[in-house]
Amino acid sequence: MASIEFQGIYKSFGNKHVLRGVDLAVEPGEVFFIIGQSGAGKSVLVKHLIGLIRPDQGRIFLDGVDVTDLSEKELYPVRKRCAMVFQNSTLFDSMSLLDNVALPIRKHKDVNKKEAREQALEKLKLVGMGEYKDRFPSDFGDGMRKKVAIARALTLDPEYVIFDEPTTGIDPISAAMVDKLIRHLADHHGVTSIVISHDLRSIFGIADRIAMLYQGKLLLDGTQDDFKNSDNPIIQQFITGNPEGPMEV
Amino acid sequence: MAAAPERMPLHHRMLASVGEPVIHVADTVKGIMRTFALTLHYTLRGRKRWDAIFEQLHEIGNRSVIFIAFTLGFLGMILIYQAGYQAMKITGDLQLLGGLFLQLLLRVFAPTITAMMLATRVGSGMAAQIGSMVVTEQVDALRMCAAQPVDYLVVPRFLASIVMSVVLTIFAVLVSYLAGAMVANTAFGVNFYTFFDMSFVGWFDVNICLTKALVFGATIPVIACQAGLIVTGGSEGVGQATTTAVVNCSLAVVILDFVISGLGYVVLNLL
Repeated sequence: MASIEFQGIYKSFGNKHVLRGVDLAVEPGEVFFIIGQSGAGKSVLVKHLIGLIRPDQGRIFLDGVDVTDLSEKELYPVRKRCAMVFQNSTLFDSMSLLDNVALPIRKHKDVNKKEAREQALEKLKLVGMGEYKDRFPSDFGDGMRKKVAIARALTLDPEYVIFDEPTTGIDPISAAMVDKLIRHLADHHGVTSIVISHDLRSIFGIADRIAMLYQGKLLLDGTQDDFKNSDNPIIQQFITGNPEGPMEV
Repeated sequence: MAAAPERMPLHHRMLASVGEPVIHVADTVKGIMRTFALTLHYTLRGRKRWDAIFEQLHEIGNRSVIFIAFTLGFLGMILIYQAGYQAMKITGDLQLLGGLFLQLLLRVFAPTITAMMLATRVGSGMAAQIGSMVVTEQVDALRMCAAQPVDYLVVPRFLASIVMSVVLTIFAVLVSYLAGAMVANTAFGVNFYTFFDMSFVGWFDVNICLTKALVFGATIPVIACQAGLIVTGGSEGVGQATTTAVVNCSLAVVILDFVISGLGYVVLNLL
């Protein structure tokens, strides 16, 4: 049984139909990439899983349990199991790096501040940011902020992590580190990762399976080889980055 | 999609042009009431974040002092000059000027103008700050941390605004009254002893003034934060939210001013 299942998801914002009946299943422990043009609805789709967006139509299942209509409070356990690293680093400017990472521990586990900070420091060290624990997010560039955001997402030892464009805007070395971390989480901790990305090096470097969204629908769901060998001109245009082709921009 | 309304019959379009703003207003009021209910809930039951509350007290109070002093000071001077000028032309008697001015300040001008100034300076800031957090997904990140955005973002602003609205209104009364006294003295020769006449002011006026300050202080952050929380569409949406916040806060202040004044005359006069 798939651990995450999207069934017939439709979502519109005003007149804009973002998702038009997407069916997708993610298997336990895999690194699952969702790719597609900007505005294809990738982020919108994954945000349905953690209740940040509600579908107009369709159901979402997590380990066979329907999470579509859960209330905000009922979603807390879901969000504890499914962490998300957002496209923007989304660190809180008024808090130190340590307090940023400690926040989900304090709220979800209801532990005291000292204990939460100790646990948070371990995660900061994991991404190589331990020595900067008392500094503030505004002191750092995008790459380092993203590392802290990843540390924050991992604080609760989630079973599922959603990475929304984790390598966008960071240098190639840091990007490779992020890729290595995602692969490591899957291989050594059994963490299921959903990664939204345009980064072809990441996609064809660490993906177990890839799904491509186009015009609000699923175009192809398959392995790296399925994509490389696909004769669909839209897929070929995307993976070769050719500005000329059938894909509507 | 854009062509669809063109195909609608005329009477449908007329109905839609009436219905759309009605639905928009109803949705806005519903959203504000929901945010207000959640704010009250977390104010009473949530954990108090004193550092955030003190930060907001500073932001709303300390940073508004000069602005309020200038606005209410000049307003006091203008009002006294106009009233004195008219009184000189009609009766030539200026001994009631100070007493009536103080009554007017307490009942209407000090709480209302202070609230309008707070709506402009503080309300727009709150909407912009929270709106930016929405578009950069920080509010979603809060929700992922099991932190309610209303609890974390609105409650500290709500508590600080109530306290500072009352403090600034009292400050506004003093500044405006003193500024008025100086104009009365220099322009019309009214001595300070005559101007500082408290005989027209009773508990009714003080109660009305403080009630309005308290209600406006509670209203402004709820409306402004609500405008920020529903932002969509990036920086353009943030810009719209700040405008919406100032417009809605100002409207709410004026409407509540009327309601509290009316209720005040009915209820407080009966006590």
